[in-house]
Amino acid sequence: MLSRTAERVYWLGRFLERSENTARLMLVRHQAILDLPKEVQPGWEILLDVLGAHENFAALPGVANEKNIISYVFGERDNPSSIISSLTSARENMRTTREILPSEAWERVNSLYLSVARRSTKDLPRGMRHSVLTNIVQSSQQITGLLAGSMNQDAAYQFIRLGRNLERADMSTRIIDAASAGLMGDEEYIIPFRNVLWISVLQSLSAYQMYRLNVQRNVSPQDVLGFLFQSPVFPRAVAHCLGEIEYSVKLLPDNAPVLKAAVKVRRKLKARDFSDQPGAALHDFIDQLQIQLEDVHVAIANTWFSPGES
Amino acid sequence: MVQSGIKSPQPYARKKARSTIDWNQYDSGEFYDEIISHSGRARPATRSLVAFIRKQTIKHLVSRQHAADLAIQEMGITFTVYSEGQNIDRSWPMDIIPRIIPLQEWRILEEGLIQRLTALNMFIDDIYNKQQILKDKIVPQDIINSSPEFLKECVGAKPRYGVWSHICGSDLVRDNDGTVYVLEDNLRVPSGVSYMLENRAISKRVLPQLFDRNSILPVADYPSQLFDMLVSLSPRAIKHPEIVVMTPGVFNSAYFEHAYLAQRMGAELVEGADLVVGSDDKVYMKTIRGLSPVDVIYRRINDDFLDPDVFRPESALGTPGLFRAWRKGNVGLANAPGAGVADDKVIYTFVPAIIKYYLDQDPIIPNVPSFLCVNSTHRKHVLENLANMVVKPANESGGYGMLVGPASTKKERALFADLIKKNPRNYMAQPALKLSTAPTLCGKNIEPRHLDLRPFVLQGKNHYVTAGGLTRVALRKGSLVVNSSQGGGSKDTWIVDTEAG
Repeated sequence: MLSRTAERVYWLGRFLERSENTARLMLVRHQAILDLPKEVQPGWEILLDVLGAHENFAALPGVANEKNIISYVFGERDNPSSIISSLTSARENMRTTREILPSEAWERVNSLYLSVARRSTKDLPRGMRHSVLTNIVQSSQQITGLLAGSMNQDAAYQFIRLGRNLERADMSTRIIDAASAGLMGDEEYIIPFRNVLWISVLQSLSAYQMYRLNVQRNVSPQDVLGFLFQSPVFPRAVAHCLGEIEYSVKLLPDNAPVLKAAVKVRRKLKARDFSDQPGAALHDFIDQLQIQLEDVHVAIANTWFSPGES
Repeated sequence: MVQSGIKSPQPYARKKARSTIDWNQYDSGEFYDEIISHSGRARPATRSLVAFIRKQTIKHLVSRQHAADLAIQEMGITFTVYSEGQNIDRSWPMDIIPRIIPLQEWRILEEGLIQRLTALNMFIDDIYNKQQILKDKIVPQDIINSSPEFLKECVGAKPRYGVWSHICGSDLVRDNDGTVYVLEDNLRVPSGVSYMLENRAISKRVLPQLFDRNSILPVADYPSQLFDMLVSLSPRAIKHPEIVVMTPGVFNSAYFEHAYLAQRMGAELVEGADLVVGSDDKVYMKTIRGLSPVDVIYRRINDDFLDPDVFRPESALGTPGLFRAWRKGNVGLANAPGAGVADDKVIYTFVPAIIKYYLDQDPIIPNVPSFLCVNSTHRKHVLENLANMVVKPANESGGYGMLVGPASTKKERALFADLIKKNPRNYMAQPALKLSTAPTLCGKNIEPRHLDLRPFVLQGKNHYVTAGGLTRVALRKGSLVVNSSQGGGSKDTWIVDTEAG
């Protein structure tokens, strides 16, 4: 497989996953408003925090209200982390690798892009949000399923999986980070709703039901964090993503440096105890985790995308 | 009287007459129409198509056209127009009403196309080797000497089977007396075959009923025929030679096609930077497992850009050393560099003589009568009749830089007269043909529109001709320019066997 093609399908996997996760995040934020009294509602800025888009947004003329933030995260082409930007990049990577991908998958990605592109020039009012965002999540899962069910599980497929799982691990840490820092004040009035808020964190990762099945206890911050970081069975848990990454890496040639980087993150994660209250220490830990995930990416790029050029 | 719940025994009043196609309104005038004869009847091979359309309401046809447009958008069938800013991709325009050619006629055209390509390949091989045809004064030496497409670097090269142009797209047109002519040959990097294939896929999707009623030749085996032909060019006698499609990249107008063909053949789609030529003068591609040998390159990149060591040194699209590897016989290149010497529009006028010279046969498909501006009597005739002529530069493709006399302004004609006088070698002219038409859905009407046909011919160890080809149609009323870059559309092309049960 060509190095250039490997790089493009890897990014295809990443961007597709990124658009799905962003849609999930918006969905949950949307549903949380409906559950919570106004004074407890987390601000819309949390979307910007998770996506690291605060500074770029602040540079724009609009005020940070619901309408503007939603538009910015959903349909702003100048925002590199918006859903439309992620889908544009996913589509562009796929367009330039379509010779190795099943044509039905290209048609799905293309039509998802077209539907979001048509929508992206308008506002996304509350009444429409659910259907538009759910469609993005479902289409993305359909594409993942289509690839799993109709594509040779060769190197190209492993690169897509690598991209997907690395992005997913990264997004999960961002969501947890933003949730535990931004959502959870210590103010008295939040306490009664804390449970609801943690549940919304689980929901944003489609984890609530699986958490219940697996943990079989009530929702507590410690258990939620343990589950989302360390569960070996839940597909969006960071540890599970890392397991998937190792699996794909082992199927690819000359994998030693990448494997080393991936194992390093997994060990660090495994050693961590989440029984204390989330706070500054957790934030530092997540920071380090994200840096190590970035190291995995760098190892992938140096090993397979531009060998001998690093 | 209240009659609720009781069905009236009376038939309901007749519905308003449905708005269907009125063929009596359809008139192609002085032009030959591919579907409807001058007497207003369907031609024998088109009867079931016409009967079908007659039964449809306009609304239904428009909805089918809409379904086709949507499918094209979703399947991402696009072509790229230069300098369109951010939106570089345009959906491929296809009219749902197919163009039909009877099988009996097609068999003759097929034979004619093979005859033509065979002779042209013998000509190219001769030009770069013995130059016997020049010594025998069939083609003047100075036409070759002055051809920018003649590559001196290719002199003495001996590609396999003596074949230089492996993939040829010849444009056919029909004049108002029904004669089919070859308008031009594209021997370098002809494009359009993917659209031929996709048009069929769309037709089957939106008008499946029609396929039951007709015996239509399938087109889908082109990619495997192309693959087999490319395999026959492999310098290594191995079971699975590495075949790649080489593209200039995503900004090229035919990128969709490059990706499409690579996908359908299961070949790698490479860019120049993905290839390297080793110190052993062999070609390798950069893979995740390191360098891997390449046997045959179907290059969709012009000669100029192929190898910066030999041609344009500033080309970033090509691969240094590629030409050397080809000259040493270490890699197959389709089409071979230098093949363009035979699709020069001036050489075109010699093709009948070329066929006679090498094959001792008369051409099966005639050339359009042509005037060479380099010849002073011809030039005089051209200059005096510019308003009825189509003037073409010798080496442009895609309909750029030509003058269509009947549609031109006085100013344009004056400009071309100057151009011709300044550089007569670069121009040839043909009387403006009365291009045939076919019914085309235009808004809510069916109207005649002019069209041509580009069949694709393969030559490696064997020959192959596509069943039909790409029909291009000028969507603007009265226009004769069919190029998609200039507002043309397309139609699915059916070779129909009227004798099949």
